[in-house]
Amino acid sequence: MNPAKPNRPDKEKNISVPMKKGASIAMLVILLALLALNNFGIQRFPKPDFESKYVVPATQAPMPRSIILEYLDVVVLLASISLVTWFVLKKRSRMGVFGVTVFSILYFGFYREGCICAVGSLQNVVLGLFHPEYHIPLTAIAFFIIPLLFALFYGRTFCAGVCPLGAIQDVFAIKPMKLNEWVQSLLGLVPYIYLGLAVLYAATGTDFIICRYDPFVGFFRVNAPFFMFVIGVLFLLVGVFIARPYCRFFCPYGVLLNLVSRVSKKHLSITPTVCIDCRLCENSCPFGAINKPLGHKSPESRNVTVKRLILFTILIPLFMLLGGFGGSMIHGNLANVNPKVRLASELLLPDNQLTSLQQVDVTTFRSSGQAVDKLNEEVASIRRQFYWGGWILGGFVGLVIGLTLARLAIPRYRKGYWPSKGECLSCGRCLEYCPVKPDMNDAQLNALKKSAAQ
Amino acid sequence: MNEISSHKENEGAPGEKLLQRIAMIAGVFSFVVCILMVANYIQLKKADPTNMQVITALVDRLNQNPGDTVLREQIRTLDLLARKAYFTSQWQVRMGGYLLLAGLAVMLIALQWIRLRRKINPQLSEEQDLNIFVVQKKARILILSGGGLLLFLSLLFGFLTNRELRQKTSDATKIAAVQSDSTGVQTRPVDSLAASVQGSGEDTTSAVASNTTTLMAGVAEKTAFSQAGSAEAGQPLPASEIYPTFRGPNGNGIAVQKNIPLDWDGPSGKNILWKTATPLPGNSSPVIWGDKIFLTGASETRREVYCLDKNTGKILWTATVPKIPGASSQVPKASKETGFAAPTAAVNAQGIYAVFANGDLIALDHNGKQLWVESIGFPNNHYGHASSPMIYNNMLIIQFDQHTSAKIFAVNTSNGKTIWSANRPVKASWSSPILVPNGASKEVIAAAEPYVAGYDVKTGAELWKLEAITGEVGPSAAYANGIVFTVNDYSKLAAIKLGNPPVQLWESDEYLSDIPSPVATDKYLFVVTSYGVVACYDAQNGTKFWEKELNNSVFSSPVIAESKVYLVDRTGITHIFKVDKEYVSLGEPKLGEPVSCTPAFANGRIFIRGEKNLYCIGK
Repeated sequence: MNPAKPNRPDKEKNISVPMKKGASIAMLVILLALLALNNFGIQRFPKPDFESKYVVPATQAPMPRSIILEYLDVVVLLASISLVTWFVLKKRSRMGVFGVTVFSILYFGFYREGCICAVGSLQNVVLGLFHPEYHIPLTAIAFFIIPLLFALFYGRTFCAGVCPLGAIQDVFAIKPMKLNEWVQSLLGLVPYIYLGLAVLYAATGTDFIICRYDPFVGFFRVNAPFFMFVIGVLFLLVGVFIARPYCRFFCPYGVLLNLVSRVSKKHLSITPTVCIDCRLCENSCPFGAINKPLGHKSPESRNVTVKRLILFTILIPLFMLLGGFGGSMIHGNLANVNPKVRLASELLLPDNQLTSLQQVDVTTFRSSGQAVDKLNEEVASIRRQFYWGGWILGGFVGLVIGLTLARLAIPRYRKGYWPSKGECLSCGRCLEYCPVKPDMNDAQLNALKKSAAQ
Repeated sequence: MNEISSHKENEGAPGEKLLQRIAMIAGVFSFVVCILMVANYIQLKKADPTNMQVITALVDRLNQNPGDTVLREQIRTLDLLARKAYFTSQWQVRMGGYLLLAGLAVMLIALQWIRLRRKINPQLSEEQDLNIFVVQKKARILILSGGGLLLFLSLLFGFLTNRELRQKTSDATKIAAVQSDSTGVQTRPVDSLAASVQGSGEDTTSAVASNTTTLMAGVAEKTAFSQAGSAEAGQPLPASEIYPTFRGPNGNGIAVQKNIPLDWDGPSGKNILWKTATPLPGNSSPVIWGDKIFLTGASETRREVYCLDKNTGKILWTATVPKIPGASSQVPKASKETGFAAPTAAVNAQGIYAVFANGDLIALDHNGKQLWVESIGFPNNHYGHASSPMIYNNMLIIQFDQHTSAKIFAVNTSNGKTIWSANRPVKASWSSPILVPNGASKEVIAAAEPYVAGYDVKTGAELWKLEAITGEVGPSAAYANGIVFTVNDYSKLAAIKLGNPPVQLWESDEYLSDIPSPVATDKYLFVVTSYGVVACYDAQNGTKFWEKELNNSVFSSPVIAESKVYLVDRTGITHIFKVDKEYVSLGEPKLGEPVSCTPAFANGRIFIRGEKNLYCIGK
């Protein structure tokens, strides 16, 4: 008992309890009645009375997707990626991977209309990191992390047949051609630049460019702007001859998977046991992701090679500086993607040079009564962000170029045919080319080796 | 060898033929669907149910005969059919998309299945080992080249576009400065204009919108006016102290000055502060810069510019146009109504610029010292040159429409050199150019037969043109809230909504003018006929609100100040009425002298040029 409070008489207690209860019920009734006011609110503006006896349909608002269904997406992702991993690592079945590929096209592609996808979730994560006020959905985090976790342990099994973007390209890979290694090295830089741009635009809250320029989402939704449709068709047509061009030379999420997958312990291997150098799998990978044996003696002395490596390593900061400077130079152009920056520019254009959409923007802004100076202040701030963003983006690209050059300066020696852990999409095409079986004994292996040598 | 070769020999697996046939049928099916979809798409693009020629023609017929119920029903039936056809085609395209996807999916799955079942024979190259050193070398060269190219392109792009961006940023800063400077000289007139418009019951939202537009467009003006002030008194001049061109700033018939008198009487001298006889006659109107008023006068042989003290009416100086080398000595066949000094002079900080009927153009500084003199050419028309020039920063813009080689051009007010010139394949006209906002800049609007055209004020590039009026165009255009109004007698009154492209909003042929120019606000348009009728229209849709017979002919153009229209008829009576949808007269003071000129305004004063005298009216 609190000595500071005097005890109330029992009578008073007895009266006050029912009163409290009654007040609570009354309050509840009033609150419920207040909710009913919404109905009157809807009827505040009478519906027009059509002479033609036209019946106005009831107003319908699209319901948000149920949270259970969102979690179901995560479960399906988890199940699909596990299944592919099992098919690749345990069953060594390309057919199984292909089955999951078709399922992914149907579920993540046509049913979920390409959204949510792990590739785009990267931007949600970046936006969430740079804008704490942004509430990042748990499903987005799950879609971002699960493929990376699997890649960390088992390689890019997500790319094999779960990613709808990869899956749709995979079925179009009918006559894949082999690209030169050096061309692949050069084109391999593009995803890093795209990743840098996607991070920059997401971090500044400008746009989700990966989603905006997703070439396949138009197919999945059976509805695409002409430009998007053309880009999608071009990717698929190119994909008939150059397998999965988007995955290999554009996908920014693939950069992360590539890096993580390099350290994967239980990555797919072409042979279940030992490589007998039979070369049967040599041309089986349409993505050029099989590392071949390298036994050439370097035509250069060790001194020259070491000096080159040191030179490229020293040059990395310079590349970063140059890249940063180049990025800062185009920060204004990069910033023009931002809607506010674009609006400020449109406000300066003569009316007759505005497109109809721009005219709508300008008219809306002018009609809103918002101050131009406030907009310009915001635009100046956004441009500053892009200035530093340009430095960071350029520096990042310089770093990637520097590291790639340094890597290419190191002489390589390898034995046997093994998948490149970073590049390999774990599609399992190569598996059935290997004549080695898991249950072969030494004699059988020796016979195979002899046969291969012949 | 056996086991390895057995791996290669796995072609023609059972069921492959079936899969091949499925793939082929699905492929052909997809192709046919694709062709049908393309045909349907083209048909869909062509068939716009809201813009069908047949229906439009029938609607026109119905408009002529609104009571024809059979025709009305026919239109409805046709419209319904057109819409049904359109939406059916849309449904077909949508369904076609699904069928195409299904066909492609079946084909691709079948093809992939074949590939899965049939192993491709490994193609073993002769060179077993990959020469990694060659590959690495080539890759290094390519990456270095690619990186270098990327850097070069970004630097090049940055250098090429940074200037433009800096300009944009600078413009944006200026705009912000204009907006935030609530006590600045330039914001006052604009605010006062907005206030006056709002005071008359105009829609606040549109007023704010037009205010914003004007503010943005006023960036260049601000500079000009600041320069003006520094040239004369070392301090910026408020816009209310400036009345630089015919029909006010921008030539639009809107005055920003306040406290304009409503009552005066010329014969008794009531509220007449002073009157000064003009040495030579002229139908040009006065222009004002600070404490100085400028006026022109001319006879067949002599052309003069006068500078008067605004407060006393004393002629401070007179400048005579000298004989210009190379100029024609012909005398234009100017009628008495037009005269030899019909164009109103223009003034800026650097000086005053006057053009005369024979094409003589003179520039004088504010003290009457000749800056430069040019001849724009002897006009090939039948009244002489009568179009008043327009001022934009350091540009003097002259509309020189004549029977041959018509053009509009801008000269540098400092030296008379041509800055830009645009040919105009139009007939002779006597209207004057006006300036209207265009984004952060302005455009010049010039009216003549056959079209009204807009020109970029900085480059003279023709931005648009629209066939609107015909005949010998005398009235200048009016502008408000994104709409240009143009009129000519025996032709029509047309409202053109500026945009990309400009479109004619409405037209009317009831009250047309051959001399007075119209004037407009966001809501109202006032058209004055030379035979003395004022008509007020809804600026947005052309609905006529009222008409008023003045009983006297009118040559002068109406000007709006403080939500009132000031219109002087030829007998010298000024009809003052409210900017409203009803005619509300606020006064009809007399000058006691015939008037053909348009008045000019200063705070608390109105300046009217009569046949012989210039009057300063105020309290």
